[in-house]
Amino acid sequence: MTTEVLKAKTGRYLRGESVPAETRQIQTWLSCIIDNKEVLPQKEKEKIENEIVAEIQAYIEYTQIDPKPRYWWQKITAFF
Amino acid sequence: MMSRNFTPEQDLINKLPFGDSTALEELSRRYGYSLYSYCLAKLNSHEDAKRIVRNIFISLWENRDRLPVDFSLSVHLYTEVRKAVVQCINSKLKTSVNIPAIEKQIIPGFSIGALQQARLPVNTQKSLYPFSASKKRNYEDQWWNRFIPAISMKGLKHGLKSMLNFW
Repeated sequence: MTTEVLKAKTGRYLRGESVPAETRQIQTWLSCIIDNKEVLPQKEKEKIENEIVAEIQAYIEYTQIDPKPRYWWQKITAFF
Repeated sequence: MMSRNFTPEQDLINKLPFGDSTALEELSRRYGYSLYSYCLAKLNSHEDAKRIVRNIFISLWENRDRLPVDFSLSVHLYTEVRKAVVQCINSKLKTSVNIPAIEKQIIPGFSIGALQQARLPVNTQKSLYPFSASKKRNYEDQWWNRFIPAISMKGLKHGLKSMLNFW
């Protein structure tokens, strides 16, 4: 497979226009998990986890400083 | 990865519409690393993997008011991460970023031989036997060990009942 073919296939898949064989190929690839991959030590895992959480926290804090306007129906939906 | 508390997942999801950021933080601690390692295995890029995981949780936070009643977090994360991986590859190919790396690392994964891996069962032997292969063989050779896992309260009850019925 070439990059051009992969580009066309993924584009069609994202638009929902791919034929069943292409869908199956991409979904099978997504389901393939390498079993013998390296296991990171606990400290490395914690470091990566903390980095991800810190980025999410930074975004949430930013939105709390500069919040998007919440419509009345959003507030009512959240209440229920 | 260890999470910080034992609050049920549904309670955390229920707290999201009220703007409880600690609930989102807890959810991201529980699932963040698994999603990250999946993205890393597929894309071979730390930056892309981190960005995808961050965006998934941020979009969850943004759409917290519109979560359906029967919302399943695991299904949501599963579908979102798969979609994001395909989107990432497609956008890289569109912008011609790291084409040699894609040719070398991602495209071989689409070959028939590589896709056959998906048909194989998941190897669960490691979790069943917490020791080496040679020790495992010895463990299986001892005949009594074959019957020990089969003994349970249900099995004992069934055995006693069948004995009583026989008598």
